[in-house]
Amino acid sequence: MSKAISIEDLTYAYRSQEIPALQHIQNEIQEGSLVVVLGHSGAGKSTLCTSLNGIVPHFFRGRYQGRVFIKDLEVARHKVAEMSRHVGLVLQDFEPQLFSTNVELEMAFGPENLRLPRGEIKRRIETYLPFLGLEHLRRREPASLSGGQKQRLAISSVLTLEPEILVMDEPTTDLDPRGREEVLAIARRLQEEKRTLLIVDSDPETAVRADQVWLMREGRISAQGPPGEILSDIPGLQACGVKVPGLIELFVEMGWPGKPLDINEAVSLIEKHDLAQKGGLHPPKPSESGMKGNCILRVEGLVYAYPGYGLEALRGINLEIREGEFVALIGQNGSGKTTLAKHFNGLLKPSAGRVLLKGRATTEYKQQQVSRLVGYVFQNPDHQIFCNTVYDEVAFGLKTLGDPLPSMNVRVAEALETVGLMGYEKKVPFALSKGERQRVAVASVLAVRPEILILDEPTTGLDEKQQRALMEMLRSLNARGHTVLIITHSMEVAAEYAARAIVMKDGRVLLDGPTRWAFAQEDRLKEASLHPSPLVRLSNRLGTRALTVKQMVEELKG
Amino acid sequence: MNIFLYLERRTWVHRLDPRGKVLGVLLLFSLCLCFNHPLYMGTITLSILGIGASARVLFNFWRLRFILILLLIFGTLMWPFFAKGPTPLWSWGPMVVSRESLFYGIAMGLRLSSLVMAGLILLSTTRNEEMTHSLIGLGIPYPVAFAFSTALRLIPTLAGAGATIIQAQVSRGLDLESGNIFRRMGKFIPQAIPLFLYAIRYTNLLAIALESRGFSPGTKRTFYYELKMTPKDYEILVVLGALLAAALYLRLGMGLGAVLPGRL
Repeated sequence: MSKAISIEDLTYAYRSQEIPALQHIQNEIQEGSLVVVLGHSGAGKSTLCTSLNGIVPHFFRGRYQGRVFIKDLEVARHKVAEMSRHVGLVLQDFEPQLFSTNVELEMAFGPENLRLPRGEIKRRIETYLPFLGLEHLRRREPASLSGGQKQRLAISSVLTLEPEILVMDEPTTDLDPRGREEVLAIARRLQEEKRTLLIVDSDPETAVRADQVWLMREGRISAQGPPGEILSDIPGLQACGVKVPGLIELFVEMGWPGKPLDINEAVSLIEKHDLAQKGGLHPPKPSESGMKGNCILRVEGLVYAYPGYGLEALRGINLEIREGEFVALIGQNGSGKTTLAKHFNGLLKPSAGRVLLKGRATTEYKQQQVSRLVGYVFQNPDHQIFCNTVYDEVAFGLKTLGDPLPSMNVRVAEALETVGLMGYEKKVPFALSKGERQRVAVASVLAVRPEILILDEPTTGLDEKQQRALMEMLRSLNARGHTVLIITHSMEVAAEYAARAIVMKDGRVLLDGPTRWAFAQEDRLKEASLHPSPLVRLSNRLGTRALTVKQMVEELKG
Repeated sequence: MNIFLYLERRTWVHRLDPRGKVLGVLLLFSLCLCFNHPLYMGTITLSILGIGASARVLFNFWRLRFILILLLIFGTLMWPFFAKGPTPLWSWGPMVVSRESLFYGIAMGLRLSSLVMAGLILLSTTRNEEMTHSLIGLGIPYPVAFAFSTALRLIPTLAGAGATIIQAQVSRGLDLESGNIFRRMGKFIPQAIPLFLYAIRYTNLLAIALESRGFSPGTKRTFYYELKMTPKDYEILVVLGALLAAALYLRLGMGLGAVLPGRL
């Protein structure tokens, strides 16, 4: 086999940055292999991706040393447009990648730039449409597709350039579980076709099928090897801010032989070595728990249709949320989670039915009164940050609600302490990392001391360490009496932190009850195209009560 | 939410060559400028509505009805104060409105909304790519044409982001319900900052995506959809051209179709 990519002592620093984003990268990729790159945020993964097709150093200016070869082409010596014939790049954000008015034209854009004749463009479109399962969508407008379809289209629009190498930078981060599965299925097919693939991802599950896994840390490749070896190196993964696969962590903690990468492997290991007895778990019925506290939010027969659209986004929701609960709202994109949550703070008004906040309909409140009671953190912190200093940002809510100055200082300090950003008052929010900006956004909502805190996809785009810090903070807020509701795609986050799960599908509530009970209903979850993490599925098979590695170890060791 | 104007339909207007369509709309624009008598102008407005109906894009007229009606009303109300005519109709202090200037106002209102409707027909029946392609066909350099069509595409994206940003601020207590219109407008200004940063980030990523797919400005490219002027395209251009010539003759040669002959 010959080399598809070779990187020779590559060091790169963005202009105006002291510390290089990549430091002395030395590596190669064989033709036809799948390499998965894992690492903390800011480790240089994206920079590595863009250095393979020449965006670095042609688009971003900076200090560039070393050489990158694609076959025998030196990347820095060729224009990005020339490199695009050899290296296809797919980005995390699908929106900016799709700019044409229909699927066909999106796929034609690359070949048009290569000045291919019309017949050849047609041949390529006809080849890749069925390959990515997009035939029935050829005349559709990209904006009208689902997340998974959009990312598949982004991949296909790069594939029509027929590059030998495909590089995907976090292609599944913004997707719901079904979309993620769709994209990974495509990656597997490409792998079977013996294409050279490099995928950056935050989830180690992706790496299970890789030929090689690279771990990145602070601009360097700290370890590489086959998945079995890299994924079972717990200290190595933790040092790089990568989540340790639950099953491996469990086996190591229990001192069991073997390091299973998937659930079937784990079950057969357990049976073979007779490691654990099946317990007789009867998950608690929904009515037995969750009865503490007064009802703070009550939804009665809620129906909502977006104006101008006949389709109902919510079709008859009934539920009750009590003071001090920690609730996870889960479901696919378009199942109505965000629409429902926006009713809780009065951003949307019911088409039928009502939402009672502390016994009074949200429509009877003024918007500002609702804002005091219900804090809502949007998915993207950059949608709300606009002040010059962290202090002003956090104080914004208090100012607009007209709080007096002395108490404002106290409140701001308190909120920053809660999110672990003491001493950040004078910093410029835009210069902070994504994880820190997310926390500023939470602090700015917390400063108002809302009783209910709603967070839309709080962990998206954060690495393992940042996720953990944010979720632990929410847990401590919950312990201090705040009612917390998160909207999330991450079944792991829901399993670990939420006591109650509400599963939505097509504008209705499919399951509502204690998380342990809900996650035991694997068949019902499948109806919503959801499946719990391998660890929870193992827990279901073994009949244990645990939802996390720690709980499982305690339970099994007795 | 769909905020794009293009409507996927199969009508004769959609099938026209986009270059011909751009020229045709320019001819329609010129026709709109020929008369300032409400009856003549009204005939043109009705014809444009008719074309819109047969192109099955009335849905877009309906979506933008507020703008169209606003243009109509404002034109009708504002112009009489600026254009003076000989037959006084109504006066209050120094303000005089004449019969002619009222008619002139109505014609101007009709003209403005007709111009917008003609433009809407073009945008609703022509894909962005076809538009770019036709602009190139009409002699405009590719980078300029591409920038134009990308700008058109960015508007709905930014509008969507803007709506989210406002919602995020409202949930933080931004009060958009009280105060007069100017104070409320003032509260919107800070929201431009996140929107601006979003736009910068978005266009940066867009540029990366474009380059990664082999785009480089200034070089030649092929087009997947073929442009072809058919006899029908020429027929329509000839008919519109003849109509324009006739209109010009009516107005300039015979002095018809104008309530205030000295004005456009």
